[in-house]
Amino acid sequence: MTDLRETIIDWARQGRLRPEDLRRALLLEGALPSVADWRRFLERLLLWLGTMGIASGVIFFLAYNWEKLGRFAKLGLVEVLVVAALVFVGRLGLERPAGTAALLASAMLVGALLALIGQTYQTGADTFELFTVWAFAILPWVVIGRFPVLWLGWLALVNLAVTLYLQTFPGLFGLLFDAEQMLWVLLGVNTVALAAWEGAAAAGVVWLRERWATRLLATTAGTVATVLAVFAVIDEASGWALLAWLIWLVVAYAVYRHRLRDLYVLAGGVLSLIVVLTTFLGKHLIDFDEAGGFLLIGLVVIGLSAAGGWWLRRIAVEETV
Amino acid sequence: MSAAQRQAAWARLTAAGLVEGDEPAAQVPGPPWFVRVMLGFAGWIGALFLLAFGGVLFSSLFDKTLLALLIGSILCGAAILLFRLRGDNDFVAQFGFALSLAGQALLVVGLGNLFDTWTSAIALAAAVVEAALFFLAPSFLHRVWTAGAAAAAVVFALASWHVSFLAPGLLTAAFAWVWLRELEDPRHGELWRAGGYGLTLAAVGTVFLLDFVVDMAFLHPARDGGTGVALAILRDYAGAAVSGVALIYVVVRLLGREGVPLASGAGRAALAGAAVLALASLAAPGLAPAVAILVLGYANGNRVLTGLGVLVLLGYLSYYYYSLETTLLLKSALLVAVGSALLGVRLALHRWWLHA
Repeated sequence: MTDLRETIIDWARQGRLRPEDLRRALLLEGALPSVADWRRFLERLLLWLGTMGIASGVIFFLAYNWEKLGRFAKLGLVEVLVVAALVFVGRLGLERPAGTAALLASAMLVGALLALIGQTYQTGADTFELFTVWAFAILPWVVIGRFPVLWLGWLALVNLAVTLYLQTFPGLFGLLFDAEQMLWVLLGVNTVALAAWEGAAAAGVVWLRERWATRLLATTAGTVATVLAVFAVIDEASGWALLAWLIWLVVAYAVYRHRLRDLYVLAGGVLSLIVVLTTFLGKHLIDFDEAGGFLLIGLVVIGLSAAGGWWLRRIAVEETV
Repeated sequence: MSAAQRQAAWARLTAAGLVEGDEPAAQVPGPPWFVRVMLGFAGWIGALFLLAFGGVLFSSLFDKTLLALLIGSILCGAAILLFRLRGDNDFVAQFGFALSLAGQALLVVGLGNLFDTWTSAIALAAAVVEAALFFLAPSFLHRVWTAGAAAAAVVFALASWHVSFLAPGLLTAAFAWVWLRELEDPRHGELWRAGGYGLTLAAVGTVFLLDFVVDMAFLHPARDGGTGVALAILRDYAGAAVSGVALIYVVVRLLGREGVPLASGAGRAALAGAAVLALASLAAPGLAPAVAILVLGYANGNRVLTGLGVLVLLGYLSYYYYSLETTLLLKSALLVAVGSALLGVRLALHRWWLHA
C-alpha cells in the first residue's frame, strides 16, 4: 500500500536522496504535478468552483423566496438556466469536463425548478415526493452522464426520498420500530447500490472504477448495518439486525479481502466490530461491576483495535511484496 | 507499490543521477490514513473507558488539583516511555495512545482547577503541554492529535481575548507554512506531516465550530476583559482577510516553487483566482481555508489532503446555507458573482495559456 510518493520520501529520510533533490525525484516519477497537470487542475478547479457557485447561488436565491420577483419570473429564470445548461452540454459534449459540469448544474437546477413548482402552485405534495420526482426526472441524464459524482448525487436523493417517505408513512411494515424500519430500508438500498456498482465495475464499466465512490457507498451501508446491530444489542431492534450485520461483515470480508482487495472497507469492518462489541460489553459488564467493567472494556477496545491495526498492516505488506 | 515498481523507480532515479548505489531495503510501510483514523477513533473510545475507570475508583481525583496534575503527568510520561521503548508494537502503541489521551484529559482538568476562571491561562498552559507531547512522543497518530489539540488550545486563548475571529486565518497560515516545508526537510518529514495534519484539522474545526469554541471560552467570563467597539467592527472582516491573505501567500509561494513568474499568464490567472476567492472569503470565511487545503494537497502530491480539501469545500457550502451571517439573497448574489468570476478567470487562463 506504500505509494511511490511515500517510498521516495522515505529514501530521502534515509539519506539516500539529497533533500534538495527530493522534489525533482518526485516530479520525475510523476508523484508531483507537472506543468500540464497543474494546468488541468487549475482549469478543473475553476470550472467546478464556478459551476457549483452559480448553481447553488440560484438554489439559495429561490430558497430566499424574494417577493419582489414574481412567481412566473422565477419559474422563467430557472427554466432558462436549465435549458442554457443543457445547450452547453449539447455543444460541449460529455467527454469534456465543462460538459459534465454543465450536466451536473442542470441536474441541480431541475431540483430547484421542482421545488419552485411545488411552492408556486401549492401542490400539497410532501417533501419526499419532491425528491422522488427529482430523482426520476434526472435519471436519464445520470445514465447518459457516465459520471460517478452524478450517480452518487442521485443515490443521495434516493436515500433522502426513502427517509422522508418513511417519516411520513411510518407504519409500512407494521410491527417494526420506526427508526429500525428506516435503517433496514436504507441498508437494503445502499447495499444493493454498492453491489451493483462493484458488479458493473468488475464487468468492465471503466468509469465506475473510482475507489473513493465505492468506499463512500461501503461507508454508508456499513454504518447503517452497525447502527442496526447496536440497536439490537441495546434491545431497540430485533435480533435479526445482529444477524444481518454479521452477514454483511462476512460478505464484505470475503469480497474485499479476497476478490477486490480494498483495505479501507476491512478497516471499516474492524471499527464496526469494535463499536458493536463495546456496546455489548458495556450493556452486560457495567451493571455487574462498574470500575472493573470500565477497565476491561477499555483494554478490550485497545486490544482489538491494536490487533485490527496489526492485521491490516500485514495485508498491506503482502501487497508490497 | 510492488517490489518491481520500486526497483524500476530506483533505476530511473539512478539514470537521472539523483541517487546512487543499491536500492535501499524496503521499509515496513506505515498504516494507510484510514487505518490511522480507525486506530485514533478506537484509541479515543479506549481512553474514555480508562478515564471512567479512574473516575469510579478515585472519584476525588477530578476535584484535587495537584492529584489530577500528578496522575495526568504520570500517565503521559508512561505513554512517552511506551512509545519510545516499544512504539513498534501495535498493542503497546495503541495502549500508549489511550493512556496519553486519558492523561491529557486529567492534566486539563487539573489546569482548570488551578487557574479556575482564568480561561486564557488554562488554554495556554494546555497548548504548552500538547506541544511538549508532540515533540516527546514519537508516534504519528499521537503527533497529529497533539498538534491539533495544541492548536485548539490556542484558539481557546484567542477566544478568551475576544479575537477568535483570527483563528481560521492564523491556522490557515500555519498549516500552509508547514505543508510548504514538508518536502524541504525530509529527515524530519514525519514531524512536518503530523503537524500539518493536526493544524489542518484544527483549522477545519474552527471553520465549522468557532461559535461553539467562543461559547465554551466564555463559560466563566469574569477574569477576561470586555469587548471593544473597534474589535466588534473588525470582527466581521479582519479574520476573513487573514484567511484570504494566507491563500494568496500559498499561491505566491507555489508559483515561486514551480518557477512560474508572477507576471506570466499562468501566474496572473492563478493570482486572479486566489484574489477572487480571498475577496469572497470576506463574506464566506470558510472558502479560503478550504481552497488552501485543496491546493496544497495537490501541490505536494498528497491525495488525502486533496480529498479533505474537497470535502471541506462541499461541507462548507451546506454549512453556509444554514449559517446566520447574512440573508440567503445576499449569499446567492455572492455565490453567483464568485462563480461567474471564477469561470471568467478560467477563460482568461485558457487564453493566456494558448498565447504562451
